[in-house]
Amino acid sequence: MQRFLLAIDSISVWVGKGFAWAVLLLTLTTSYDVFMRYVFRDPTAWGYDAAYILYGTLFIMAGAYTLSRNGHVRGDVLYRFMPVRWQAGIDLSLYFLFFFPAVIALMYAGFDFAKLSWIMKERSAASPDGPPLYHFKTLIPIAGFFLFLQGIAETIRCIIGVRTGQWPPRLHDVEELEKQILEEAREGKSGSEILGEMGIRDAEEVKK
Amino acid sequence: MTNPEIGVLMLGIFIVIILLGYPIAFTLIALAVGFGYYAMGDTVFPLLVQRTYGVMSNDVLISVPLFLFMGYIVERSNILERLFYTLQVAAKNIPASLAVAALATCAMFATATGIVGAVVTLMGLLAFPVMLKSGYDVKLSAGVITAGGCLGILIPPSIMLILYGATAGVSVVKLYAGALFPGFMLAGLYMIYVIGRTLINPKLAPKLPKEQTDVPFKKVFFMLMTSFFPLAFMIAAVLGAILFGLATPSEAAALGALGAIGLAFAYGRLNFTMMKESVFLTARTSAMVCWLFVGSWSFSSVFSILGGHEVVEHWFAAMQLSPIQFLILAQLIIFLLGWPLEWSEIIIIFVPIFLPLVKFYGIDPLFFGILVALNIQTSFLTPPMAMAAYYLKGIAPPNVSLTQIFAGCLPFVFMVIIAMVLLYTFPGIALWLPNVLY
Repeated sequence: MQRFLLAIDSISVWVGKGFAWAVLLLTLTTSYDVFMRYVFRDPTAWGYDAAYILYGTLFIMAGAYTLSRNGHVRGDVLYRFMPVRWQAGIDLSLYFLFFFPAVIALMYAGFDFAKLSWIMKERSAASPDGPPLYHFKTLIPIAGFFLFLQGIAETIRCIIGVRTGQWPPRLHDVEELEKQILEEAREGKSGSEILGEMGIRDAEEVKK
Repeated sequence: MTNPEIGVLMLGIFIVIILLGYPIAFTLIALAVGFGYYAMGDTVFPLLVQRTYGVMSNDVLISVPLFLFMGYIVERSNILERLFYTLQVAAKNIPASLAVAALATCAMFATATGIVGAVVTLMGLLAFPVMLKSGYDVKLSAGVITAGGCLGILIPPSIMLILYGATAGVSVVKLYAGALFPGFMLAGLYMIYVIGRTLINPKLAPKLPKEQTDVPFKKVFFMLMTSFFPLAFMIAAVLGAILFGLATPSEAAALGALGAIGLAFAYGRLNFTMMKESVFLTARTSAMVCWLFVGSWSFSSVFSILGGHEVVEHWFAAMQLSPIQFLILAQLIIFLLGWPLEWSEIIIIFVPIFLPLVKFYGIDPLFFGILVALNIQTSFLTPPMAMAAYYLKGIAPPNVSLTQIFAGCLPFVFMVIIAMVLLYTFPGIALWLPNVLY
């Protein structure tokens, strides 16, 4: 079972991380556009469309990856203090009551939305000879599908959580800096050790 | 039940589910689908997908991943260390020089990264022990680090103002222009507080021994040129390009991210690992924020179709508040929401509920936004839910207690309140610059 869970996780992670690089592309294309505009007085025709397509692709396709990292924000005032069995029980019922209906609606509606766009061979109206939009719109049902898949893994995690009173492990991944630092501090590392690992000298060393 | 009553029910269920701790984005989408289906049948599906696509093609939100990316790169480029040591020697002749340097470092680093937790934990490791070792008061030192770390979500270019702009339909450019002076004012009030208290009671922040601060001017100048000025220039360039209309916020954000990569390269910290980490974290945080938008926009469409907004307006109308009473009440509610919720949720989910009222009372949404931005500072600093305090506690030496950190935060919360009162009394602090520029 654990292997099945981690297999689904890896699919979400792989997809999410792949599309994550869109931000680098977005940085470069947008900078290029500005550069062309000011240095050569020759702005690109595709700059505007490229920007929102890259941004939209990035976040919509990272949805499942974020879910696999438990990264979608919760109001955790009470949740944080509940025993794992309670957390898992609440999550489990709400996955069925809320998550799956929402994601299925998104897939269903997104499919029709994308189909219409393909039939019309829709192109962006923001620029003359705008780029086609049907691939971009098709991402909605596809993102919905990956969320659905990850939702299955999360549901199984909840069942394990209810049964055993412990959350099954997730794949290791990069964490926010403060999380990393707090984790290392909890493990008993000293401040200068933590800083040292990040390549930061602490005050004592600088003085020397 | 009538439709507006159903709308209120929808809001009620939402609040209960938030308290249960289920991911908010999906809660919002699900409630929108369920209640929307009740209110308008099959039409809810195109509505949902239109709202989703609306977020995907929104040209204001493009800057969200770009500013995040810039922040994560700056965070990993080791500039903090140089910045703090430089400002520390540069500020040597000022009373409480370490605290002032720490505040300035926090403010600047937080402005560039926009990530509260990272600033507080990093500065907590770097500056906090130095201050304690130099005999600084624990509470004062703790307050400086926590309050300073939160300034980044207020001082432009901050992501919070982008989210507010996208939610309220206010130009981000104007919001940045409006938040600039209030942000500096708050940072200035913090410094005045620290220096003032030290002048009254020098024991709080003893003068550093001579050999520690005895750095020749040439060296200080060189340090400033290699740490303070590059970062200051980067921030000023991004902000200036936006304020003077040379680039849209997203274009400036892209240039900022490119500049951050250049800075990391210059400091010899650019490598594939840090790039990968920054890219992946950007994707996750962007997905978190933008899916929240998908949920919130779907939810509030259905909420207003059901007539929920009118019910809320009637409640407020029945209270017969004057605009100033309304403003105080609204800020009080947002202050209280800051305990269970994070700022991104407050801005994306609850601000839309207040906005029609803001217009009803004839308050400028731009002005309201700046007040909210100031107010949210307190949510990180007010016990018992002060996140910044917990971050600091997590890495502080064991003999520093949470109570001491809380006590250290409180004076800074008062400074925020003073800043809000000042802003309300002299709205020009926020509105002058946008009016001059546009």
